[in-house]
Amino acid sequence: MSRVFVTGLGFISSIGNDEDSVVDNLRHLRHGIELFEPLQVPESPVKLAAPVKDFDVESFDPEDWTYPAQYRLRREVLRSFSPHVLYAYCSMKQAIDNAGLDEHEVSNLDTGIYTASAGSSRFLHRSLEKMYKRGIMRCNPLNIVSSVAGTVSFNLVSNFQIQGVSTGFASACASSGHALGFAFEEIRRGKQKRMFVVGAEDCNFDSIVPFAVMRALSLSDHPDSAARPFDKKRSGFVSSGGGVTMILESEEEVARRGASVYGEIVGWGQASDGYNVAISHPDGRGLQNAMRLALKDARITASDIQYLNAHAPSTPIGDLSEVIAMKEVFGTDKGPMISSTKALSGHGLSLSSILESGICMLAYKHGMVPGSANIDELMDEAGGLNIIRESIEMKPEYVMSNSSGFGGANTSLIFRSCQN
Amino acid sequence: MNSGIEIETVTVTPLTDDEREELADSLKRCTEETRQAAFKFRETGKLSLLPPIILGIIERFLEPEIRPKLKEGDGSLKLIDDLGIDSLTMMEIVVLVEESLDLSIDNEELRDLRTLHDVNVFLDAKIRNVPVPEKNKHFGVESVLATIPHNVPFLFLNEVSLGKNEAIGTYTISGLEEFMKGHFPENPVFPASIMLEALGQLAVFQLIMTQKSETGQSVDPKKILFTGCETVRCQRVCVPGETLTMTIKPRSLRHPIAKFEGKITVGGETAAWAEDISLTFDWIADSED
Repeated sequence: MSRVFVTGLGFISSIGNDEDSVVDNLRHLRHGIELFEPLQVPESPVKLAAPVKDFDVESFDPEDWTYPAQYRLRREVLRSFSPHVLYAYCSMKQAIDNAGLDEHEVSNLDTGIYTASAGSSRFLHRSLEKMYKRGIMRCNPLNIVSSVAGTVSFNLVSNFQIQGVSTGFASACASSGHALGFAFEEIRRGKQKRMFVVGAEDCNFDSIVPFAVMRALSLSDHPDSAARPFDKKRSGFVSSGGGVTMILESEEEVARRGASVYGEIVGWGQASDGYNVAISHPDGRGLQNAMRLALKDARITASDIQYLNAHAPSTPIGDLSEVIAMKEVFGTDKGPMISSTKALSGHGLSLSSILESGICMLAYKHGMVPGSANIDELMDEAGGLNIIRESIEMKPEYVMSNSSGFGGANTSLIFRSCQN
Repeated sequence: MNSGIEIETVTVTPLTDDEREELADSLKRCTEETRQAAFKFRETGKLSLLPPIILGIIERFLEPEIRPKLKEGDGSLKLIDDLGIDSLTMMEIVVLVEESLDLSIDNEELRDLRTLHDVNVFLDAKIRNVPVPEKNKHFGVESVLATIPHNVPFLFLNEVSLGKNEAIGTYTISGLEEFMKGHFPENPVFPASIMLEALGQLAVFQLIMTQKSETGQSVDPKKILFTGCETVRCQRVCVPGETLTMTIKPRSLRHPIAKFEGKITVGGETAAWAEDISLTFDWIADSED
């Protein structure tokens, strides 16, 4: 069994489009939430979102998009993109640079990619609308590959000439946790030497407002306080989008390349609630099991975990289930430091797990554990948990990152810091 | 109406304001000229507007650095090799042409469109609602090898597109040809004599593929001989990596002599031409007992 290391990261997120900005924002608890322009219409009860900055991808025509010049793409590449594919592409490019991989190291039989995205409901809707209006044969021939779930895989595999394994995961907000867990397995079992794990989501009217009727979103218009995981007055999540790429490599590859590493993945667990299509189990049953399985897989005990990046999206029910699950697993005495960075980043759905795992890697590299922002009054049920409200300058050893998605899908990933 | 008479306009359904706005949006990345030509066509049905509309739409899908080629080149420009249009881009072009001209095109019909000329001829016939003239037939290197008596290392024909009165062939200079080592050391240049040979091979292919005796006998590949060529001019040095596009047209085909004129271009530039390439040929003998 090979050990598996994280050797590259790329961030296109609401809290920064490069590692340094993300670290800086986390350290100083600066959020990426704003009164999002497309939502400032009377019919939208939601006003806030955490969009990616320096990208304008509102147009349905990718040739209209503006984005940082270093990622400039040809028309033939862009034409099969929806907005989140562009985020994903840029994050992957950034991660490849960050890891120092050459073309051959990206494109070979031993290098694969797992992706997570829900597709682009905005582009899918628009293309079907056009089809009904203009006729079936008068549409953009690339409508399907640009919009359905899987579009991130289609586009990245072809553009980066990936030859190893590839597939996409669709377990809502746990998607990129699954992608990461299974990518870890590919390397651990010696089937691949290197894996790209990419999570991405759109952030636009169509990706956000459908959550409003589920009463899952914060309807606040105060960007500074809307996302408040673990707070008594939490009222829903703030939606985000973006793209994050993490590169995993086998111990052998790390040694061969002399690569610098962020950290090591040492185990993961997944388990399902078996309870409700959209509501988490009241005791966080699936998440408890996922955490326990992850600990077992990593051959450590709960007391070894020093920091836990919680899923906690800032919804009344979701945060409560997780609090109960964490108390069950870690007890109420001397448990790990806990925070939910969604208070700053917003909730990126399929993106969230890989973003938060990336944040754990930054905690290692920059010796900084990010705090849980916007807690005025801690929820009563969280008593006994060590929820940290400020970022703390320290390099933890074992950290855990949790994610939960619709249908009660839960993942828990465990990392260990490296001495280098 | 006699089919020989040129039709200059076709009946069109005028655009509604909504449709006009939508078409303007679809054509927003085309030049103003193209947009206006499209609107005018939808008002008047004038067929003379087709070439600027079609060229304008193709141009819109080309990378900026390729666009000048479209302006300078002629109908022999190849959609894939010269303009970098892949099959997906071809589909995008088709959808926009369909929308602009209000017509429908089947996938099947697109398969053999290889050059700008093919596209123009095809769309012209489509819009006039007359049968599309027979397209050139395409032959890959396997067919070439199975037809002409030549083989590597003396084969200078990668593929052939055979039309009614012409054959177009290509050969990409690999630089690995044995004679290139000496022609010239450190400075590989494709020999003019081999260019003439390449035209000859294309003529042989055309001859075998098209000629039959009165009693139905085919040309015998073993009985074709190159006998002469009147005038040859070479105007351009051709080097490894370049693709020769060769066109030959028969001038007279009367057993036992076939005469052709030929031309070679590279990326639209004339590289060489030859008048009266002469071959002698004979039919396959009836089976002997």
